[in-house]
Amino acid sequence: MQLKMWVLSGAALILWLAPLAGLDKSIRFHKWTQGLSLCAAIGCAIGAGNIARELSEQGEIEEIKTRAITADVVDEIATSAYISQQQRQQEAEQILATDERIDEQEAELNSIKESLELLLNQTSSDSGSLAVVNLSTRQREQIELILQCHAKGIRGKNKILKEVWGVSAGSSQAYRNAKAEYEYLMPFIKEEEEGG
Amino acid sequence: MRAMYLANYFVAGCIAFSLLGWVASLHPIAFRAIAFLAAASFICWGLCWLLDFSVSGWLKISVQNLQAVLLAVLAMAIVGAGVFLCS
Repeated sequence: MQLKMWVLSGAALILWLAPLAGLDKSIRFHKWTQGLSLCAAIGCAIGAGNIARELSEQGEIEEIKTRAITADVVDEIATSAYISQQQRQQEAEQILATDERIDEQEAELNSIKESLELLLNQTSSDSGSLAVVNLSTRQREQIELILQCHAKGIRGKNKILKEVWGVSAGSSQAYRNAKAEYEYLMPFIKEEEEGG
Repeated sequence: MRAMYLANYFVAGCIAFSLLGWVASLHPIAFRAIAFLAAASFICWGLCWLLDFSVSGWLKISVQNLQAVLLAVLAMAIVGAGVFLCS
């Protein structure tokens, strides 16, 4: 198409200029040849112009297509980047949630372990000698501390819990554990006081 | 490519004016007819140039485009007639 356009453009120029410059106006045949070549030159120029316009429109359409494809590709890349970012965020949130669950489970397990230890000690306290044997060093120290508190005149349960275990009255797990431990140790304390 | 098609139409216009000159050279009556046509066209051209805002509204094109077309037509006439007369 482009070649045709260039050929027609060149032909239009040649048919316009060559006969006017080269032929004699006084000769009848030359004159009519000039007229015909001018008509042909107009035809060639208009034909070349039409082809050039068609090519120009096609070029514009191609440019629009290229722009649309580029925009699509950019949009696709942006979407995939957004999705992958969301996926990473979700994965990170899941990992964090799992860590929190593990912490909670560990705390629960510790609480159960302590409760089980207390239960074991309480069960074996039916036989007095066994219970004494089962008391841990820490519990013995706690008994000593409680006895010291009694000697100082501190009698209230909450005050003793505060002095010995360092917990204030409330609904916290530490307070409940301390209270259970204190209640468990009470018979031994009484025995110690009566015996001592 | 847009410049190419504009250039081709411009050349076509120039050749058309050369053809008018050639027609005018055929016979004195043809010469008078072409001279009358050229004078009428020139008057129209001048009116269009003076009343550019009204004409552009009537043709529904911008004033710049109208002025560009008028100047292009003038250039075509000068080049086409010039080529014919100088040959």
